[in-house]
Amino acid sequence: MLQNGWDTFEIGTILRPFEGSISDASAILPEDRLYSQSNSFSVSVADWRIEKPLFNKDLCIDCQFCWIYCPDMSIISRDKKMVAVDYDHCKGCGICVQVCPTTPKALLMFPEQKDEEEALLEWPKKEKKEKEN
Amino acid sequence: MLEIRWHSRAGQGAVTGAKGLAEVVASTGKDVQAFAFYGSAKRGAAMTAYNRFDDKVILNHEKFMQPDYVLVIDPALVYATDITANEKENTVYIITTHLSTLELIASQPKLMGKKVFTVDCIKISQETIGKAIPNTPMLGALMKISRMYDIEFFTENMFKVLKKLPQKIIDANMIAIERAYNEVK
Amino acid sequence: MADIFELRDIEVWDGNMAASHALRQAQVDVVAAYPITPSTPIVENYASFMANGYIDGEFVMAESEHGAMSCCIGASAAGGRVATATSSQGFALMLETLYSASGMRLPIVLNVVNRAIGAPLNVNGDHSDMYMGRDSGWIQIDCYNPQDVYDMNLVAFRVCEDHGIRLPAMVHQDGFMTSHTAQRVKTLSDDVAYDFIGEFKPMNDMLDLDHPVTHGVQTEEDWHFEHKARQHHALMSAVLPKIQEAFDGLKALTGRQYNLVESYTMDDAEIAIVCMGTSVETAQEVSNELRAQGIKAGVVGIRVFRPFPLEQIADALKGCKAIATLDRSSPNGTVGALYNELAGALFNTSTHAVLTNYIYGLGGRDLTKSSIHTIYRDLQANAQAGSPTTPLQQFIGLRGPKLSFF
Ligand code: SF4
Ligand code: SF4
Repeated sequence: MLQNGWDTFEIGTILRPFEGSISDASAILPEDRLYSQSNSFSVSVADWRIEKPLFNKDLCIDCQFCWIYCPDMSIISRDKKMVAVDYDHCKGCGICVQVCPTTPKALLMFPEQKDEEEALLEWPKKEKKEKEN
Repeated sequence: MLEIRWHSRAGQGAVTGAKGLAEVVASTGKDVQAFAFYGSAKRGAAMTAYNRFDDKVILNHEKFMQPDYVLVIDPALVYATDITANEKENTVYIITTHLSTLELIASQPKLMGKKVFTVDCIKISQETIGKAIPNTPMLGALMKISRMYDIEFFTENMFKVLKKLPQKIIDANMIAIERAYNEVK
Repeated sequence: MADIFELRDIEVWDGNMAASHALRQAQVDVVAAYPITPSTPIVENYASFMANGYIDGEFVMAESEHGAMSCCIGASAAGGRVATATSSQGFALMLETLYSASGMRLPIVLNVVNRAIGAPLNVNGDHSDMYMGRDSGWIQIDCYNPQDVYDMNLVAFRVCEDHGIRLPAMVHQDGFMTSHTAQRVKTLSDDVAYDFIGEFKPMNDMLDLDHPVTHGVQTEEDWHFEHKARQHHALMSAVLPKIQEAFDGLKALTGRQYNLVESYTMDDAEIAIVCMGTSVETAQEVSNELRAQGIKAGVVGIRVFRPFPLEQIADALKGCKAIATLDRSSPNGTVGALYNELAGALFNTSTHAVLTNYIYGLGGRDLTKSSIHTIYRDLQANAQAGSPTTPLQQFIGLRGPKLSFF
């Protein structure tokens, strides 16, 4: 793109999200769509992160808040079930963690270099209600 | 070049009259103009409309005009506005009034010594069309005084101009034109 | 399918009616408008033609002129043939969106019925709004009478929708002096007019769901300059030849000849008036009177104001000794725009004519033949002296003490 001169791009202030034609895009999963070079899907923002959100499946209640609130559509959800974080497009803003309603949260921010297994082991435990005797 | 100035009140149909006349004249192959000064005047305000007719293409768009004919379709404008503005030596005045020509000149001495004709277009339109729309009868009077076209030719063409109106209204307008043609003095 | 509207060969139409019949014959898909005097009848007539089955289209009553042009932009990006009309303050309110339309390369036709811009409030004709649009990236075509308005609307659609151009176009006429003056207009039948314009060929339309496209994207320092350069390039190189081609096509069809620059008796003219709108014809009438007296007078009318036909104008004026540029807009702090354009066009050429500037006709003030005679008399004196015998800029037709500058 950067080497384009004034005479080499399409006229009008337009961008095309896909290469060539596409029909019924909403029925095709994002990873199967032929996104164009100018689509932000083709650009990774992984290196923007200092911290990353990690997902603990056991605590998730599939409320989809994270999916709705993520500003960069980086929560992968299938059949209304939270599946994973898309680490190519997650910028590490932490909003998903903020909105996650469970206690402890099913999403937590960890340093970018943190090992996932390790994090899961350190994850805060569910507080058991202590009965007064 | 033949130039006409209309004096009217907004809503009395001077613009429609000027345009109708222009359509008839244009159908004979002459070049025409019909325009008016409006400002943001409301209904009832005094206004002027204009016609230019020529065998040649009309290039002049100036508003300034020394009219050959002055047509006044509201009786009060003879007193309320200067209908003699920018007149020529032989400008002809056709004025709507219930007065006779002599009475009118006596009531507006400015018209003394000028070529003045009178006809009561208000009464004619009320009696024929049922409303005080004095524009079409004035055209009948103009045909008589100017001898621009004979009345049969004129009514026939005016009929075409009005053809979108209901038949009853067209018929009434035709009668109004002929009455004014016969009654102007 | 829309009904055919039977027209007589010659209709007596004012400029507004001529414009609305052209929009009808173009079968404009969407008119979004916020009516304003003196352009109101154009969109009003479109709506009534539509309601009566003569147009298969959509009329959108917007909440403001800004909204009206915004709707037009949306409809045009969606892939429709789009037009509207405005004047004066309404044009001013539209201004922001005009830049969007041209930058997005959307071929919208805007009829601008030229009117003064207040304060003081005034509904009459001058060129303030037309001048305000001159840097907006639109094609600007100027009309001198209702026939021009009819013809130039047909030309505008044909030119601006061309895929090599894709730029919006304004068709200008003088408020009241053209818009409300009924004159003879030679018409084309509905199918001939439509064929002259051609079928609308969409480009990157948003309603092509198989080829999704984002319109009106953001660029910063990285791309903005290239986009503007591309747009300017299209205006400068593609538009005038395309307009000329449309003029040639119209001439073949009707015998009526239009030119990028309209020259009247300029071949051997020594003194010339350069102006726009109805003034071009009134000046021509005066010039004819002077010719009858053996004075070598001429008139140059600007037909295409943007893109400015700089070379053609310089060529039309090359033999002249004295030239007056007439500006119908308050220059507010400098020389008139047309003076500036002409000075730019003639500088670096072999023409060394004396160039002067007249400000006239603001707020609809009548340009009388007698004023034009005065200007030609000044020009004769300038031509004889070989240098200005008057101040460079003079107000003409103004009450009170004489006003002039430079
Ligand atoms: S951290 Fe921000 S960008 Fe990443 S998944 Fe959560 S909300 Fe989305
Ligand atoms: S917000 Fe928390 S609980 Fe809700 S779906 Fe996302 S991860 Fe699961």
